[in-house]
Amino acid sequence: MWMILRRSLYDFYTHCTPLKDRLILHKGLCTSAGVAECTPSLPTACRLTVQQAVRLWTKHFQLTGVSEPRLSSQYIIAHLLGVKTLESLGPDRLVEFLTHKQMEQTWKLCSRRLNRMPVQYVIEEWDFRDLTLKMRPPVFIPRPETEELVGLVLKDLQVKQGTGVSTEANFTCLEVGCGSGAISLSLLNSLPQLRAIALDKNQDAVDLTIENANSLGLQDRLEVHLMDVLTDADMIVRMCSPVSALVSNPPYLFSEDMTSLEPEVCKFEDHAALDGGSDGMQVIKHILNLAPRLLLNQGRLYLEVDQRHPLVIQQWAKGRESGLQYVQTCHDFTGRPRFCILEKGSGP
Amino acid sequence: MAFTQAVKMHLVFCRSKIPSFQLWSTVIAQRDYHRVLYGRPQNPTSKCCPKIRAMHLTHPLMITKLLSVDEIFARRRLQDYLKNMETEYSNSLKVVNNIEGQQSDELRVKRTRISVIAPLIQYIRELKTKEKEFAETEILLKDDDPDMCKLAVIERETYQKAIHEIRQKILSHLIPEEESDMSDLILEVTAGVGGQEAMLFTAEVFDMYQSFAGHRGWGFDILEYMKSEIGGLRHASASICGPESYKRMKFEAGVHRVQRVPKTEKQGRVHTSTMTVAVLPQPTEISFTINSKDLRIETKRASGAGGQHVNTTDSAVRIVHLPTGVVSECQQDRSQLKNKEKAMTFLRAKLYSIRLEEETSKRYTARKVQIGSKGRSEKIRTYNFPQDRITDHRIGKTVHDVQEFLLGEELLWEMNTTLLDFSNQETLMDILGEND
Repeated sequence: MWMILRRSLYDFYTHCTPLKDRLILHKGLCTSAGVAECTPSLPTACRLTVQQAVRLWTKHFQLTGVSEPRLSSQYIIAHLLGVKTLESLGPDRLVEFLTHKQMEQTWKLCSRRLNRMPVQYVIEEWDFRDLTLKMRPPVFIPRPETEELVGLVLKDLQVKQGTGVSTEANFTCLEVGCGSGAISLSLLNSLPQLRAIALDKNQDAVDLTIENANSLGLQDRLEVHLMDVLTDADMIVRMCSPVSALVSNPPYLFSEDMTSLEPEVCKFEDHAALDGGSDGMQVIKHILNLAPRLLLNQGRLYLEVDQRHPLVIQQWAKGRESGLQYVQTCHDFTGRPRFCILEKGSGP
Repeated sequence: MAFTQAVKMHLVFCRSKIPSFQLWSTVIAQRDYHRVLYGRPQNPTSKCCPKIRAMHLTHPLMITKLLSVDEIFARRRLQDYLKNMETEYSNSLKVVNNIEGQQSDELRVKRTRISVIAPLIQYIRELKTKEKEFAETEILLKDDDPDMCKLAVIERETYQKAIHEIRQKILSHLIPEEESDMSDLILEVTAGVGGQEAMLFTAEVFDMYQSFAGHRGWGFDILEYMKSEIGGLRHASASICGPESYKRMKFEAGVHRVQRVPKTEKQGRVHTSTMTVAVLPQPTEISFTINSKDLRIETKRASGAGGQHVNTTDSAVRIVHLPTGVVSECQQDRSQLKNKEKAMTFLRAKLYSIRLEEETSKRYTARKVQIGSKGRSEKIRTYNFPQDRITDHRIGKTVHDVQEFLLGEELLWEMNTTLLDFSNQETLMDILGEND
């Protein structure tokens, strides 16, 4: 095992001649410490080009078992150079040398990634639909599936806006568990007449949502409150209702699955934003119960859930006088049943 | 026929690796369109029908000269053509006016036809008046009074200018807009023969078109960019949108050849390498739809549980169109949704170009063998660095200063405009039947 490691390291350094003279020192580091701590020391005597730095860190991420080694190294270094992806750097800049400060920064950020910190936290931002949002631990990092959830809501609300329902004072959307604010801010960004209320029970999330709203200039149409659907139900109804749409990406993982998560998720993200109790339905149930009291007639509830949930929710809506009708299950881009849409009937 | 066909051929056949398939149930309601526009039903074997003037084999340099407006007007064919138009116009007018109130398809076509030719007739009449006035000044020239003579000379000049302008208007009126001329496009560049050097050149050409788009005020959105080791470009694609973008860019499709001493060459020898440019018209949502059931979307998130379980930064998207096996990929953006949208744009353009090929090849089954074997490898332009020149082989035009040309500004525009002029002239000759 060690031989393989050393050989691949050696192969790599032969491509990267300026570092060759530091090889011995590096080898020493590797053999004395465990693999996880195998951080290459910051070369002080020589400088690396962008390309060399990317390759070096890709190799190290590979050796230490960090997931997505190549992309991680590319995204981090691109971020330090002020661009989103390395592709947007011209070929000339790829062979430019990094400054000492950039080298230090690279080493600092990549070391964080070595500890399995998600890239989004390392570079402190990520893209969601058209927006670039600030990301900070432990606030939940929005997943690509949620981009589709926003698409579903947008499709309906755009129709409403078109038919003139928007002229009502209440063209409002409520989001439960806003995290970084991704859903609400995307909706506000696409629908200039919409107002939104975002709730989260975590102060970090509330702060981050406000920060993101400010930097996108959307703060005027957004209210953010520190509230918990489990305990503050009555207050939420009093303060927010009625709304035209209710949207949520609630914690929906089953508690038993929490142990099998990748370290990126498990070590860094807020468990309260992931763990939905033994059946993953704890928060979902509260939202379902609360929805009829919050929504206008024909107002819709949009949920992102685990693939085992849509059938359960459909049964739940059928089984009682909930005031909610199950409209449909939508599938995500991988073909999994991922989104539930329910509508408040026009009855009492 | 030479040059325009060469262009078309590249547009369509650069992408024709996929075998023919009988998928498209397209509605081509062009019969009436042709009767209206050209006053005769579409004849698929006729060379002079502009709608389908596409697919013959090229013999470069068949047209050696770009004719001036006046030279074209001096041709009898044009004069005959204009005369025919006038006769047709007055005849149609008579027919329509005589039978009031009746409705038939024949009449409807005639009416539309009248409204189509009307502006042309207007120009022809204007031209005639001006020509008459011009002739009248001839008498004044012979006048004894020198002041009168001077005046006559000045007047003649203004008339001449006016005549020239009207003639130009008539000619541009005769050249029909192609359906796809109005659409946006997808540009694809691929390195050809020549290894790393070809890839370096591909990157330069791609940059050239990017700044060309900037220079013309077109939008340029990179869909795919696959770098090589030393900063070259294996393959890239971009979506370009803006007024006249396709009308112009279609002339850039084909094999571009570079001759120079590569950076990688140690002994100072000149190498020849190639790269290919493909230009695909980008269909609008309305004109071309894809059934979402026919698509398979592949992402890194397909395995495992997805959703909140996993956090990935690999947002690459690959879309497979199942009935045809056409694949499109995008990993340009950090947002997976954006990548998906871009991949879809690209896929649509690919499928659309296959459909176009399908249609065109149906019309030209007889010539297909010839085209299939030669069209793709036709080189259209050479960038010769030692001689500092660029030569377009389709029209035999050479310009100097390669560096300046690669900036994608005036020189490229000049070359492109000449190509457009040639193409227009050819179209015109087709309509007049001069190439028969």
